[in-house]
Amino acid sequence: MSDSIVLASLFPTLLGTYGDGGNVLTLTHRAGLHGLTVEVIQVDPGDAIPHQADLYVLGGGEDSAQVAAAQALQADGGLATAADRGAAILAICAGYQLLGHEFPDAAGKPAPGLGLLDIRTDRLPARAVGELACTPSPHAPDTVVDILTGYENHAGATHLGPEAKPLAQVRAGVGNGDGTEGAVNGRVMGTYLHGPCLARNPQLADTLLGWVIGQPLPAIVEPEVEQLRAERLSIVLGSDAPQSAPISRPDA
Amino acid sequence: MTRSRLPLRTTLAISAGKAAAATSRVSGKGEGMVVGGKVMLRCAPKALTDLAGDRVAALVSATNGKTSTTRLLATAVATTGSVVTQPTGANMTAGVVSALALGDREAPAVLEVDEAYLPGIVDATSPKVILLANLSRDQLDRMNEVAMLARRWRTMLAEHPDVRVVANADDPIVSFAAEQAPHVTWFAGGQVWTADSSVCPQCTNLLARDGSDWHCTGCDRRRPEPSWRLDWSGESGVAVGPDGRQFDLTGLGLPGRFNASNATGALAVCAELSLDLDACTAAMKTVTAVSGRYAILDVGARRIRLLLAKNPAGWSELIDVMPPAPTPVIITINSNAADGRDPSWLWDVPFERLTGRTVIATGDRRRDLAVRLLQAGVDHLVVEDPYAPNAVLPEGAKDLDVIDCAATYTAFHALRTRADKEAGTSA
Repeated sequence: MSDSIVLASLFPTLLGTYGDGGNVLTLTHRAGLHGLTVEVIQVDPGDAIPHQADLYVLGGGEDSAQVAAAQALQADGGLATAADRGAAILAICAGYQLLGHEFPDAAGKPAPGLGLLDIRTDRLPARAVGELACTPSPHAPDTVVDILTGYENHAGATHLGPEAKPLAQVRAGVGNGDGTEGAVNGRVMGTYLHGPCLARNPQLADTLLGWVIGQPLPAIVEPEVEQLRAERLSIVLGSDAPQSAPISRPDA
Repeated sequence: MTRSRLPLRTTLAISAGKAAAATSRVSGKGEGMVVGGKVMLRCAPKALTDLAGDRVAALVSATNGKTSTTRLLATAVATTGSVVTQPTGANMTAGVVSALALGDREAPAVLEVDEAYLPGIVDATSPKVILLANLSRDQLDRMNEVAMLARRWRTMLAEHPDVRVVANADDPIVSFAAEQAPHVTWFAGGQVWTADSSVCPQCTNLLARDGSDWHCTGCDRRRPEPSWRLDWSGESGVAVGPDGRQFDLTGLGLPGRFNASNATGALAVCAELSLDLDACTAAMKTVTAVSGRYAILDVGARRIRLLLAKNPAGWSELIDVMPPAPTPVIITINSNAADGRDPSWLWDVPFERLTGRTVIATGDRRRDLAVRLLQAGVDHLVVEDPYAPNAVLPEGAKDLDVIDCAATYTAFHALRTRADKEAGTSA
């Protein structure tokens, strides 16, 4: 694998409601810190999905845009091909839901998803809006150890099938709706965390980049980011928050 | 409509509302517009219709620029006599009722209306003209989807075929909302923020753009031919009317392309109202600060020019109003309810355009802003209170006669309140 990473940003015009472009910026930024370069391909509706990207990113979006994006991805088939090949995929909120078997459309009826994650989504009794904090689950990649922080705004209750494993356990907020948050299936990762997710959780960004280059990346700490994490976690978790944001990670 | 023709119930409700508003003012809780209006509506649910009669000249709605455009338009309409409008930005039903009840009961009304409340207020007030300027993402934790709002506006206009509409042809979402109204005057108001109108609101195919022109790649929908446009030089503008008549907006007291665009839309409304457009243009130039926007204030040890931006579209426009690099600026981000609780929209704002200077990051969410600026490659200093005499600020900041301070909604109001309070104690 060369050190230039090809990143496909899928339908940011449809799936980019909650500052999700920040995830692409963060991947580019973190890659730069690690001496890697990223080539970003923006894929708009009507464009073919590139088959050879290393990393695919999907954001959140409104209901009708989510259905349109799912249909376009289904018709193209390129994302499924990339997933089979072992490409890394990060999907947020509406993007996360549409990677599963089905998700609710604007009218609440089940719409078919891509089936790249073994999950099904229906409606929560009440919309989940607010800060979300969660602890990486035992199934999370071993490079993800720090508490995950973000903001959620969704109406989806997501149920994991046997192939998908939860990314995290909820400490505050709703997440999938059953105490778990997000899902991981090989190199496909989905989550309700935005804020954007990777800007507030650089270990997730480094994990995705590490998957692509085939080795874990060393920890690089940015004070601004740690201060933001500490502030959000102390507001959400109060005295349960880690006193200083942990920066350690297991030896790879 | 005269006072004596108001139903007794509405008259009593107005008295009750005024009393409630006065109580609110005396107790220092604000101007009482909203409280007073709520009491009036509770006592007389039809108060809005009764008070509106047939005197509502225009309603103004948009995601951005409602308050400024309404002030420009009300000032233009006031060239013909007394006008009723909101003194503050209270633009939901209670604020509209209050404005009509407390102002001159005979005068024509020019009112700003919240996007989501517009259909109900149009039903109740039967305006002559509705100005629809733009729709984009704002307070996603509270507001409906942008496309959903546009569909509600579309239904509203279908139910009011007699109303005259002035609508921004450059905004595909606004265009979708107004395209079937029988009496539409299109103006080319520009659209800097296109992220919420990347796909057709009807068929969801991608919109193709060329400058301000746009068309749908999946259906026949395209930008309507505008009869009013703004020619913007980068410094000042000229509004050009349907017959090619030009109205020089040089000297407009409100800065920036978007305010020249607001003035162009307001002039198109004035034309619908058959007003003297030269007199209207001259009147609009006298508007300098609108409810504190662009006001010069002394806050603590600093003198600031206060700028308000509430969402990515507003920020995109505002960045161009700030002085060029390397002049430092203050940016204040809060996330109270009225700001939107979720500041992830910071990542939609092109802060990269501030490079070459040091930004003073403050407000409750200054740490979110710092991470955003870090990734944008913009130098920044996180300062809890940049107005303190001994605040550590970037080089040159303390030497400026006036430093620009751009703030979200609650931060903006907190600064106005602080400036008022400090002016009071020093007097």
